[in-house]
Amino acid sequence: MLSTDRNTAQRRNNVNEIGVPNGRPILFAHGFGCSQEMWRHVTPDFDDHRVVMFDHVGAGGSDLSAYDRAKYDSLHGYADDVLEIVNELDLRDVAYVGHSVGAMIGVLAATRAPSRFSDLVLVGPSPRYLNDGGYVGGFDQADIDRLLSSLDENYLGWSSVMGPVIMGNPHRPELSAELTESFCRTDPAIARHFAAVTFLSDNRRDLPHVVTPTLVIQCSDDAIAPLSVGTFVHQQITDSELVVLNATGHCPNLSAPAELSAVLRSRLERS
Amino acid sequence: MSACATACVVADDDLIELYERAPCGYLSVTPDGVIIRANLTFGRWSGYTVGELLGRRFSSLLALGSQLFYETRCLPVLLLAGELREVLLVLERPAQDALPILVNVDVVPDERARPRLMRIAVFDASARQDYEGELLGARLAAERSEAQVRVHQQATVSLGAGRTVAGVAAALSAIVRSASDAASATVMLVNDAGLLLDAVTPVSAPSPEVVPIDAQRPEAEAFRRGETITVSSLSDMERRYPAMADAVHRARLEAMMVTPLLDDESCLGVVVSLYGRRRTFPPEQIEMHIGLARQGAQALRLVRLQLQLRHMALHDQLTGLANRELLSSQLAESIRSAESSGRPMSLVFLDLDGFKSINDQLGHAAGDSVLVEVAQRIRSVVREDNLIARFGGDEFVVLCHDCDRRDAEQLSGRIGAAIRQPLAGIRDDLRVTASIGVACLAGRRGANGDDLLHAADGAMYRSKATGTDRTTIIDA
Repeated sequence: MLSTDRNTAQRRNNVNEIGVPNGRPILFAHGFGCSQEMWRHVTPDFDDHRVVMFDHVGAGGSDLSAYDRAKYDSLHGYADDVLEIVNELDLRDVAYVGHSVGAMIGVLAATRAPSRFSDLVLVGPSPRYLNDGGYVGGFDQADIDRLLSSLDENYLGWSSVMGPVIMGNPHRPELSAELTESFCRTDPAIARHFAAVTFLSDNRRDLPHVVTPTLVIQCSDDAIAPLSVGTFVHQQITDSELVVLNATGHCPNLSAPAELSAVLRSRLERS
Repeated sequence: MSACATACVVADDDLIELYERAPCGYLSVTPDGVIIRANLTFGRWSGYTVGELLGRRFSSLLALGSQLFYETRCLPVLLLAGELREVLLVLERPAQDALPILVNVDVVPDERARPRLMRIAVFDASARQDYEGELLGARLAAERSEAQVRVHQQATVSLGAGRTVAGVAAALSAIVRSASDAASATVMLVNDAGLLLDAVTPVSAPSPEVVPIDAQRPEAEAFRRGETITVSSLSDMERRYPAMADAVHRARLEAMMVTPLLDDESCLGVVVSLYGRRRTFPPEQIEMHIGLARQGAQALRLVRLQLQLRHMALHDQLTGLANRELLSSQLAESIRSAESSGRPMSLVFLDLDGFKSINDQLGHAAGDSVLVEVAQRIRSVVREDNLIARFGGDEFVVLCHDCDRRDAEQLSGRIGAAIRQPLAGIRDDLRVTASIGVACLAGRRGANGDDLLHAADGAMYRSKATGTDRTTIIDA
C-alpha cells in the first residue's frame, strides 16, 4: 500500500522518465491542446540528463478521475501538481521547461517553492491572452468565446453527438472518441474548461515574484504569444534572458525541435 | 498529332481546370504554415486573389478564436499524426461574413521523414454549421438547465439533512463550492460581534474570524445592503477594498462573490465564494448563488426553530431552568456515570417557605418575579456543570456530579443563604426561605432516579417539618 501511496502524483500525471537517473533533472511540461507527446522530438537530445515528462490532469495518459473542477479552475491547481511531482521524485535543482500555458504553470510553481528550481525555461509564454487597457495580449473576450465554441463544435458537437451515429454504434461512444484522436488525447469537457482557465487567466502580477533564473524562448511569428508578450515577460522577470528563434508559429517543439534543443542545451550548459 | 496525344492534352487541361475550380479549396503550405499555392476556388471563398494569398500563413486567414484553436490544438495533432480530418474552422474574410469551413490536412514528408509540405483541402461548411450549431446550442442549453436543476435538488437534499446550524452551514458551503468551481466557500453568520466565520470551514479564505458589520469589506457590505457583491479581479479589489488585495493575492485568490443569506424575514449572514482566477460573473451564476443562499437561509431558520422547540420542550418557560423531563433524563445519565466512575453524586431538592403568602397577597405576577429571582440566585451559587431544574410550582432540584456529602452540605448552605436575602420590591414581612433536602449517592449500585428524587424529597419534608429554612442530608 505504501508504495502506491508514494506514487500518487506519478500515476495521476502519467509521469515518464528517460535519460540517466542520477543526471541533472529537467522537467518538461506541455501546454493547452496536447500532452507530453509535444516534447517527443526534443527530449531525446537530453538523454544525458534525468528527463521527466508528465501530462496535466485531463490530458494524455493522466488519471481523468482526478479532475476536480474547483482545483483546476485556476493554474494554481496545476502548479500544485508540478510541486507534488517534484516532491515525490525528490527532484532538486530542477530545470523546468514549460511550453505555452505550461510556462505560466512553472512560474507559479517556482514562485511557491523557489528552492527546488535552478532554471525556468518559458517557451511561448503568455501571462494574459486578453487585451487589457494598454496591455496587448492579442485577443479579446469574443475571440476566446469563439475558441470555446470551436472546441464545442469539434469535440462536444462532432465526436460526442455525431460520431456515434456515423460509427453506427451509438451505445459505445468511446469507440468514436478513440477514433477522433490518437495523439494529444483529451476529454472534451476538460479541454473546454482548461481552455477557459488558460486563456482567461491573468498572471501578470506573478511574474515580478520569480527569483529563479529564467530563459524566455519566443518564436519569430507567433500569433498566440506575440513578441511583445514575450518581451513583457522578459521585462517583468528580473533575472531573465529573451531568445527569439528563427522558427515561426507557436509550437517550435514540434516544428523546429533542433533549433529549440540547441538553445536549451546552451542555456543548461551555462547554468 | 495522334489521338492519344490530343486526349492527354485535353486531360491535362481538364485536370488543371479541376484543380482550379474544384468545388473545394486546395492549398499547399510549408511546414511552418506559409501558403505556397492555392486554387481559384479557395481564392474566391477567402475574398483574396491567389497572388495575395501566397506568402501568408494559413492560420492568419482564420478568425482569431479559430486561429487559437488551430495553433494550439490542431497543429500539434497534425504534426504528430501526419494528418488532420474534418476540423471545423472559421475563415475571416475582408468585407464579407466569415465562412465556416471544414478542413482536411495531410503532411507530405521528405526522404528523411521530416515534413516537406502540407496539403489542405477546404470545404464550405455553412450548411452543416447551421444545422450542427442548432443541435449543439440546444444540447448545451439542455445541459445547462439540467445542471441547474441538479444543483438545487442536491441543495434541497443536503441542506435538509443538516440537524445543526454548523451542519447546514457546512452543507451550504459545500454545495456553493462545487456548483461554482470555487477554490473555497464559507458561510458567515451574523451575531452581536459581527459576521462570524463558521467554525467548520477550513480557513483557506482570507476572511478574519469576525468581520464587523461596518467594515469596508465585501462581506459586510453585502450584509448591510442585502445585495450580492462581486469582486472580479485583484485590480477591482485594489480599487474598492484596497486593504484586502494583498492578503487575497497571497492566499492565491483573485475574485470573490458574497451573497446575503436572506429569507423572507431577515438577513442571517452571508455566503462567500472565492476563486483562484479573475472572472466576470455571468448573471445566471449570480442568480444561482442567490437561489442557493435563499435555500440555505430557510434551512438555517428551520434548524434554529427546531433547536428552539427542542429547548422549549426541555426547559421551564418562566425561569429558563431545565424542566422535569430534562432532569429525569440527565439524572439517569448521572447515576450511570457515577456508578461506572465510582464518584459520588448528590441531588438537592428545595421547596420555598413563604412563597404561597406572596402569591396570595401580591398576585401571580409578583410570585413569578420571585421565582425568576430565586432561579437566578441558585444559578449564582452552584457550579456551572450542575443542572438546575424547576420541579414544580416552588420546588427546585439541583443535580450535582462529583459531589459528596460535605460538598453537598456546603452547597445547600450557599443556596439557603442566597435565597434568604431580602427580595427587592417585596414587603419585608413577606420573606422567602428554602427547606432543603439532599440525597447523596456514594458507592451504591442499582440506584434509580425516582428513588433518589423520592429520598431527597423526603429529606426536604423533614426540613420543612422541623422548622423550615434548613437542610437535611441523607445517604441514599
